[in-house]
Amino acid sequence: MARGFRRAGRGGQRRYVATLDAGERELVATLMGQVADLLAPPDPAGATGATGQSPTEPGAGRLDDGFDAIVAGMGLARAPGDAGADAPTGDAATDDAPARDPALDRLLPSGHREDDGAATEFRRLTEGGLRHRKAAALTASVAVLREAGDTVGLDEGQAVAFVTALTDVRLVLGERLGLRTDEDLDRLEELVERLDDDEPVVYLLALYDFLTWLQETLASALMRR
Amino acid sequence: MTEKVVTPEGDVAPDTPWVTIVWNDPVNLMSYVTFVLQQHYGYGRAKAEKLMMQVHTEGRAVVANGPREAMEADTEALHGYGLWATFQKDS
Repeated sequence: MARGFRRAGRGGQRRYVATLDAGERELVATLMGQVADLLAPPDPAGATGATGQSPTEPGAGRLDDGFDAIVAGMGLARAPGDAGADAPTGDAATDDAPARDPALDRLLPSGHREDDGAATEFRRLTEGGLRHRKAAALTASVAVLREAGDTVGLDEGQAVAFVTALTDVRLVLGERLGLRTDEDLDRLEELVERLDDDEPVVYLLALYDFLTWLQETLASALMRR
Repeated sequence: MTEKVVTPEGDVAPDTPWVTIVWNDPVNLMSYVTFVLQQHYGYGRAKAEKLMMQVHTEGRAVVANGPREAMEADTEALHGYGLWATFQKDS
């Protein structure tokens, strides 16, 4: 049974500790790895041999078992409609991304709402660095989870990276679930109550709720009095 | 103390301060937004929570103001945390 993050220790010794079983750790690590993959800059033209592997953390984005295949089948790592019924298995990346994934617009939103020129210039100056820093926080958190036992302990820096990585995963999941307004989540919860448990959206929402709970405990623990 | 102001090209009102705005979104948690405002700006709990509540209830809040370059840097940092932030000239 999972137990959320709480503070342990004081001052420089402060840690943020949660209890997560192996399945829960691998679930969160897999989702974080997939979002890191999503943030990898597009391959330069002519690049070959694209795989679903994360550029910075070997194995982070790999889809190794049935559970991960379910996640991949729901399209966390790619745009909806991008993979059809003939979706390949075991490869989270597509060789040719035709259009910008809308989830990227949640991870890397516009910096200016009225001035397209300023927004474009801002994106040109910041997007590369943001992609890199987000991917670094995600892969660092994947590494922590893959090294941890049932007790996951984070120092201050790791905790900030982890809570940020959880945000990025939830932003992508939220986009895949169609959450655009505060009311959308209520509507979705009502819908899901009427659906069978084997509907993908039921599972996806359960994942989202689990990550929301986990992030809530860490954000609350990190908040200063 | 004087400060040399570099005016961006086309900026007709160099004295107008710029602002950083955080917009409401359905994903980010109230606790997390409060934490980010504390972490990035060093705001105390009360100020961070007040701004967070303004985002939540009014849909947006001005979280900082100052020169354009600083507001762009804020926006980039807040995007790093996954918040929906923009910069614009104060109106």
